[in-house]
Order: sequence, then structure tokens, then C-alpha cells
Amino acid sequence: MKIILNLIVKEYILFFKDKVALTLTFIVPVVLIFIFGQVFGGGGSDVRKIHLGFINKSNAPVAQKLEKTLDTSKAFVLIKKTKNESGEMVLFDTNSLKKNIKSGNISSGLVIPENAYTDTSSGLRLIYYFDPKNDIETQFVQGMLQQIIMQQVPELFNQGMQVQSEKYLGKEKGNEFNRDIAKSVGKYFNIDTSEILSRDLNKKNETEKNSGGFNFFENIVNIEKVQLVGKDIANPMATRSVGGWAMMFLLFTITGASSSLFDEKKNGVMLRILSSPVSRTQILWSKYLYNMSLGIIQLTVLFITGALLFNIDILSNVFNLLIVVISASAACTGFGMLLSSFSKTSAQANGYGTVFILTMSAIGGAWFPVSFMPAIIQFFSKFTIVYWAVEGFLAVLWRGADFGGIWQYAAVLLGMALVINIISIWNFRKGNVF
Amino acid sequence: MIKITNLTKRYKTVSALDNVSLEIKGGEFFGLLGPNGAGKSTMMNLLAGYLDADGGHIEYSEEKIDRDSMEVRKKFGLVPQTIALYEELSAEANLKIFGSLYLIPQKELKEIIKEKLNMVELYERRKDLVKNFSGGMKRRLNMVASMLHNPEVLLCDEPTVGVDPQSRNAIFDFLQKINEEGMTVIYTTHYMEEAERLCKNIAIIDEGKIIAKGTVDELISLLPYCEEIYISKNADTSGKIDPLKTSVEITENADKYEIKLKKGILLSEFFKTIESSGINYNYIDFHKPTLEELFLNLTGRRLRD
Repeated sequence: MKIILNLIVKEYILFFKDKVALTLTFIVPVVLIFIFGQVFGGGGSDVRKIHLGFINKSNAPVAQKLEKTLDTSKAFVLIKKTKNESGEMVLFDTNSLKKNIKSGNISSGLVIPENAYTDTSSGLRLIYYFDPKNDIETQFVQGMLQQIIMQQVPELFNQGMQVQSEKYLGKEKGNEFNRDIAKSVGKYFNIDTSEILSRDLNKKNETEKNSGGFNFFENIVNIEKVQLVGKDIANPMATRSVGGWAMMFLLFTITGASSSLFDEKKNGVMLRILSSPVSRTQILWSKYLYNMSLGIIQLTVLFITGALLFNIDILSNVFNLLIVVISASAACTGFGMLLSSFSKTSAQANGYGTVFILTMSAIGGAWFPVSFMPAIIQFFSKFTIVYWAVEGFLAVLWRGADFGGIWQYAAVLLGMALVINIISIWNFRKGNVF
Repeated sequence: MIKITNLTKRYKTVSALDNVSLEIKGGEFFGLLGPNGAGKSTMMNLLAGYLDADGGHIEYSEEKIDRDSMEVRKKFGLVPQTIALYEELSAEANLKIFGSLYLIPQKELKEIIKEKLNMVELYERRKDLVKNFSGGMKRRLNMVASMLHNPEVLLCDEPTVGVDPQSRNAIFDFLQKINEEGMTVIYTTHYMEEAERLCKNIAIIDEGKIIAKGTVDELISLLPYCEEIYISKNADTSGKIDPLKTSVEITENADKYEIKLKKGILLSEFFKTIESSGINYNYIDFHKPTLEELFLNLTGRRLRD
């Protein structure tokens, strides 16, 4: 027993000496738990509102009320204006709203048409345009919209009925009709008749709010859903997620390959190479180009596999896909080289690499939509390679974007690659790898 | 000729080389002898252009050697102290990679590899993975990997570390052969036997400084004595040693008396004294001083301390 105890003590001594093991055991899980906590609600107050394009063409009180409600909603920020060709901010029209959704600027938009609700209407008509690039977000938006509308429409509908019955039956018969209707509704849905009759557009009662609305009115709210992007995609789920997963694996591959510098230094091969007519700059270039080409090959293989197994369409936009693949590989390679330039050993580079890769994948949108994350994490996600690569792949594979729709992602990734490489080279020059 | 002038190299606060000056002639087998940490590998790395000096300079045939001197590197080959090979690749694949760094045409390289592997008796094992080689085989491959471009100067940084005696002898024979063919060999070691056997000229280095240089005989002559004589300590000799003390200095150990015969004392006179003391010749052992004794004499430490 004593021997076993001594061996256990030995294991702990070695474990606490191993910084990489410590990092992977404690720091990585804590960081990931924090991020997951933020994403799935633990973050609390600063969950970002979802940006919803909005057009209200109707003058009906119900439409005005709905707009006001959505405007003050905690779930949405209504985007009502866009830049026109001359750069001025103008109200959305249907075409510009659709264009913004198709180009990925906003993921959905709600239109209250001119004829959304008239005196003769039997219900409220809305048009919801959406791009389901993030399925969770789309479902969330639709759910929130339904909830908000359901909380408002019963009152409006009731008032509309009262107005119309008075108009066609006269005030006295109209009131009688309304009372009969209210009695019937009250009887079948167990609601106090006076509550139905005394509803006021500008007041809400808590019972109604908390009950989630009067579902029996659901049929009178007609939301026409129009999917603008990805309708013809054979496998939406795989198409949306392939870029994120590919990026995570690419980062692991590149980090491992970049840290080979340490192995070559340790076993003396670096000394042998540098004593031949080879400069340090040539070594760095060879490492960089090798890693980048490896990244391009890996991504290509992953996308081809995705095409073969999951029907992901990679051929119809192959040129733009290649641009994003090259840009992403360049940035990832830069990341790998940066890690190597700051690390002292291969184990250290791989340990730090794991922390950064998992963190970047989590907040960059590789695992779940960025739009679901708290504002602060969304802010930081834009500093990650994963975010721009995932958005680039979505633009190509999901939206079928042309070069005009992807150049910004490629530019950011290449810009990141440039900046990271400058830092790496500067660090390599003063560092101890060579 | 390699001319090293006032060479200084520091690692943070530690001075690895301190104002070292040396001249090594073309075609020479030159030894750099010193204990671990003396600065031998730093010197080799500077000669190979892997490091830049903090002071002084190195010239080879009037070409400066530093980290940027690509042309002169083509004339040098470095055999690193470690087995600087890709263990997961075959011997042949390793040589192809390292040969390609010198831009040797493929066809020519293939012939060179065949020739070099034959020289170190590894041609039959050329397809085998290096990880499956014995220590001696790896050392031999490590050596030829540095010679594919037929360098004018071969820098060997302790190339026999961890090698069995048989492989060590094979390496020595190989190095002597290529030296006889005209290649300059600069050889670092902390084994004085190796330096004495192989090197015509030797520089002894300690704590970054050259403390002595010359041929083996020249170095030995730096000692204040020319011969060491041991007399066994026993009942026969113990009562007869005192008369000798008048003419030579005697150090008494547990099992023997040590006599360091100072220069100027004739061996014949010493024997006369021995004869008159009555000590039997069977108890006397003669020992020629080595570089180890020189190092001990100069530094107060042994080479492998």
C-alpha cells in the first residue's frame, strides 16, 4: 500500500510540473464552461437583441401597436433603414429588405403589408422573410414573434369584431352579438366574459401576459414565411456546420505542424539545416507555405467528403470557395507560426494551441451561432479567425455569394494573416527557436 | 586556412567563448579538447555559421563566416553532437533530404549517397528506418549526412558520444581516411585518447578560453615533468624509498609512490639512484604523461569532472 501511495505522489509531482497537462486539465475546461455558460443563458443580462429588419406599410391600429411592441421588445432591435446607392439612410422597401437578408447583413425581416389588417379582415397578415443560416436563431425569432403577436392580437381582434358588429348590426344589436360571442368564448376557453369585453388596446393584464396569449386566436394571425436563402440546399444542417468544424480541425493540424520547429531544434536537425546554405527566412517561408498548402489540402478533402457524404454543393461556387479556403488557411498558418514563435517547447505550443483553438471555435461560431451569444462575446468573436472563416464559408456554401459577397471575409482573413505573420517574424528574430 | 580572431560569444551573462584566437591550416586534423561546457560546441556552431559572435570574427580563405554567409557554408559540413536525423525515415530518404539542401542534382546525389553509404558500410541498410539502427549505425549515418556535398572542412562535434568501441574505431578510420584525402577535419572531444590518436594539432579549451595549443608533444612538454614513475608500496619498497627523496619529489598514495621526473633530470641518473636504493625493478612502472595530466596541471580539474 505504501508503494502505491508513493507512486501516486510521484504521479502528482509529475502532473504539477507539467504546465500543459495543468492547462488542459483546469484552464481549458474552465474557459469552455464560462463560454458555454454565457451562450446558454448563464451570462444573464447582456444577451444581445436580435436584429430584425422591419417594414410597416399599414396604418391600422393593430399594425401600429405591433410595431410599438416590437420596438420596445427585449428580444429584438428593429432595423428599419438601410443605405441606398448614394449612401443615404432610407427606410427599407421590400426589395432592399430582401437584398439585405440575402447578402447576410440581417438574417430575417418582418413586413406588415398595407392590407395587414382592415375593417373587413378576419385576421392579421404578416410576411416574414428569413435566411435560416442559423437554424436555432430562425426558430427563436419565429417563436418570439408569435409570442409577441399572440399577446397583442386578441385584444385587437376583439375590438375589430366589436367595431364591425356595431357597424353592421347597430350599436344595441352589436353589443348583444358581442356579449353572445364573449359568452361562447368564455364558456369554451374558461375566460371571464367581462375581461373579453373590457379589453383596451393600450392596457395589458398580467394574466394574459403570463399565460402566453389566447391561442384560440392563432388562426387569425397569418404569418407568411418566405425563405430567401438556402431553399435549394440538399442538406442545410451539414452545409451550415461544415465550415466551422473544418476550421477547428484545420487549426489543430496547423498548430501541430508548426510546432515541428521545436522537434527539429531538439533533435539537432535544425542545426544541421542551418549549417547548410539555408537561411532562417527560407526555413520560415518553407514552414509557412507547407502549412498553408497542408491547410488547403485538408479543407479541400473535408469539403469533398462533405459533398460526397452529405450532398454539400461545393462545385457551383467553387472559385469563391477556393478563395475562402486559401484565406482561411493563410490565417490559420499565421496563427500556428505565432504560437511557435511565442512558445519555448513543442508541448507548450500544443498546450496553448488547444486553449486558443477551443476558445476561438466556441466564440467564433464553429459550434453554435454567434448571434446567440452575449454582446461581449460577439464583440470578441470578431477578433477570431474562426468567425471570419465560418462567415466566409456560409456566404459561399449557404448564400451562394459571388466574389462581391465574400471579398470582405477573405480580406479580413488575409489581413489577419499579414498582421500575425509580421508579429511572428519579429518574434522569431528575437526568440529562441532559431 | 581558418582564422579565428578574438572570438567572443555570450549567453546572457555566461561567457561561452572569451576572446579566442586560433589558426587551423587546410588539410589538418585539428582537435578541440575540453570538458563538457568548455565552449567546444559553441565554437563549432560559430564555425558552421549557425550562430553570430558577440565579438571577433572567423574567416575561411578570407571569407567571413557568420549567419549570413551562405556561400562559405557550402564548403563546410557539420556533424552535430546529437543524432540529427529523421528517425521515422529511411537512411536513404534522410540523405536525399539533406543533400537536396545543397541543390545537388538528383542523379548525382543518388550516386553520392551510394558512395557514402558504402564508405560507412550502411548501403545494404539504406531502406531501413533510422529508428531501427543501432547507436553506432546512427552515428555513421549522422556523419555522412554532413558530407554529401564533399565539404572542404568537416566539423565533428563529439561524433562518438555513446558509441561502442568497434563503431568508434570505424568512425576514426573513416575520418582519418577522408583527412588523408585532403579534407580538413576539426574534431571536438572530451576524450583525450581520441584527441591524441587523431589530431595533429590540438587546442585545449576550458571555460571559453584556449589554455594551450600545439601538437601532442608540444602540449605534453608544457608539463613541468617529462615522465611519471610509479613504485608499488609494499614491505619490500617502503624502507627503501627514503634515499630517493633527496633527488626527486615523491607523492605517497595508498598503494604506490608517485614520482614526477622533472625536466633536466637524466633517466640514467634516476636509475642509478634506484639501483643503489635496492628497489626491485619489478615494482617500478613507467608512465608517459598524457593530455589529461596536462589539463589537470593547467586547471586543477580532470577533463571529465
